[in-house]
Amino acid sequence: MKAPLKLLLCHHGSSGARAAETLAHEVAVPGTTTLVHCLVVPELWAGMQGDDWLNNASTRDAFGNYVEGMLESDARRELAAVESGCRERGLAYESVMRFGNPAETVLAVAAEVGADLVVIGAPRKKGEQGLNSRMELEKLVRGLGCPLLIAAHP
Amino acid sequence: MVYTKKSPALLIIGVVMLLWGWLNASGNIDGMQQYFQKSAYSDHLKVKEKFDAEFRVASEIAAAENKPAPDMKMPKSKFDQAKAFQSNMSYIFGGVATLLGLLILAWKPKEGNLDYYLSIFPGMAYILLIAFLVRWGLDPMFANWGKAAQPTLGWNFASIFNLNYVVLGIVIGIVIVNVFKIPDWAANGVRTARFFLKTGVILLGALYSATELAQLGAISVLLIGFFVLGSIGVVLYMGRRMNTGNSMTAVLASGVGVCGVSAAVAASPVVNAKAGEIAYTIGTILVWGVGCMFLFPTIGHLLGMGPVQFGAWAGTGILNSAQVAGAALAFDPHGIETLKVAEIFNITRVLFLPIVVLWLATWYVKHEVGAEKVDLRKVLFAKFPLFVLGFILMFLLSTLGAFTPSGHYQGKYFSSAQIKEDKLLKGKETKAIEAELARLKEPAGAKQLQDFFTEKAINIGQRHATPEDAYKGLTELVANRKVSTREQETLLKAVGKMKGLDAVAAGAIDKASKAAYHSSKTIGAFRDWLAWLFAFGLIGLGMQITMAALKQAGGTPLIIGGVVGTIKAVGSLIVVLLFVKEFI
Repeated sequence: MKAPLKLLLCHHGSSGARAAETLAHEVAVPGTTTLVHCLVVPELWAGMQGDDWLNNASTRDAFGNYVEGMLESDARRELAAVESGCRERGLAYESVMRFGNPAETVLAVAAEVGADLVVIGAPRKKGEQGLNSRMELEKLVRGLGCPLLIAAHP
Repeated sequence: MVYTKKSPALLIIGVVMLLWGWLNASGNIDGMQQYFQKSAYSDHLKVKEKFDAEFRVASEIAAAENKPAPDMKMPKSKFDQAKAFQSNMSYIFGGVATLLGLLILAWKPKEGNLDYYLSIFPGMAYILLIAFLVRWGLDPMFANWGKAAQPTLGWNFASIFNLNYVVLGIVIGIVIVNVFKIPDWAANGVRTARFFLKTGVILLGALYSATELAQLGAISVLLIGFFVLGSIGVVLYMGRRMNTGNSMTAVLASGVGVCGVSAAVAASPVVNAKAGEIAYTIGTILVWGVGCMFLFPTIGHLLGMGPVQFGAWAGTGILNSAQVAGAALAFDPHGIETLKVAEIFNITRVLFLPIVVLWLATWYVKHEVGAEKVDLRKVLFAKFPLFVLGFILMFLLSTLGAFTPSGHYQGKYFSSAQIKEDKLLKGKETKAIEAELARLKEPAGAKQLQDFFTEKAINIGQRHATPEDAYKGLTELVANRKVSTREQETLLKAVGKMKGLDAVAAGAIDKASKAAYHSSKTIGAFRDWLAWLFAFGLIGLGMQITMAALKQAGGTPLIIGGVVGTIKAVGSLIVVLLFVKEFI
């Protein structure tokens, strides 16, 4: 297999994503590969105010700003960590941060950046705690125009 | 940012509504409406039969006298009124939607207030169309199906599962957001559901009497106080035992303890809850709340609960406040008595919210190393529910007689001046009362009256009623052919229930008493609009319940939420059944 020019790494900070990062580092070739870090903030957050109706608009705004700020700072921390790992290995690094359905967003970003390899982590094991926002693998596999590499669960 | 989406959707909704209005007005869908409005149609047949008979007699008399056939108009039946109501509603809202729909298509939207406010109408019309469909179509259809299947199943599935317009509306809202997604053009308007629910609660304020509010307020403070503080205490204890982390425990305690998602939203920033913790908590509360909304009304009916008991139970036992209103209306979809009770509990909960947020903020700062202190005064002001002030204002206005004479109870008020001529007592009735008056003035009658007043503890103002009071009241009733004061009405109503009283006289007193009470048109209109406001609001809130949020329920929070939610639901049921009576 030729060294990928554009490797799209889907990473949002979970243990599976970190395994994917390790695998991406193994596959990527410094000086040849540009690692594009795709971080998807899942759309489930859009519905996170649920059916709250008792609060004043100011309380809802405060909650929205708080959650947005927290998600953004979490995302920036992940982006910085992955970028630092790439720099250590001499890999070129780019990042894309999006809000939406994980599989649909990865498909869209892969097409936009012209990815020739996509690396993702394995789904979390059952019973393990974490956000319930799984990648729809079938949708991803059917839609991708390049190979997909799934890192084994750590 | 431009909010208005250029779409023909609002125009189409408007045209559909206008078409429905025309179909009803023209009678083209009478066959279908006969199926939907079975009970109203049976009234229509009776009215028609009576009218035909009267017309036939009048025509025969006219023919005998060589006069032309009389020009008689059939009185409006409930069926005619129902169709006219649908037609008028469809014309009004369809007309507005059509005009605004045309404006959206013709106008080039620019940033500004017009754009923002115009953008909410398509979503509002979308919810209203669903509300029409559910109230006028699905609700009666399921009721008919339930009755039709009863002989085969042995039970009425529509009644047992409360498949009425409230439950169906919420379910449709949930299905739309999760299966079809809310269209972009409707997104802004769908968010107005909260505003309409709050408007409904504010309007509800006009329907309480001071006694009701005092009784319900006292019982809600006791029940909510005990169960809110109790469940928060249990969550804090379980959270520490199960090592869920301070911020997770605090946000879960607020949600499970006070008013569900609203409390979690209010408390999260104050206790520095992490993203995952918020998701777990809100998912758990939504799953529990939606489950309870379906379960509670069925259990309430099976246990034969009344509006006060069910409203108190739902208002205490259901974790999430939106589902409290949903369950109350699902239990009693065609009256608002249960809703009135449940909403008092909701208001009490939300008044507890700022206090609980303060408590949890203090608890968090005490237990979390490095946590920043919270400005308690700022939190208290920011979390105070402003719409409750609107509710109180409406209650005060109503009590002071702004909408109907003060002292009304459930929209009914006393007025001697407004008694119509045809409601005055007839000669036969006054004669029967005069005869009874004469009998009661005899020693035996006077003793019977005195014993009755003593036994029933009948008072006039601050003193015990005497036979002389009854004589005076009856004499005035005969003279005026109507009751003149509320005091007289209260006394004579009691006299009318005395054993041994002549049936005609007793009936006349009852008739005079009823004639003095009038229904307030304003309060009646409030009642009608309330049902629509809540239906609209709950359909819109159903559209905010996403499967993605529900799926976040899990892990330790679900265990703690499940345990405390069950204790709260079962515990409040027991307390309500034991101590809350149908006193209104």
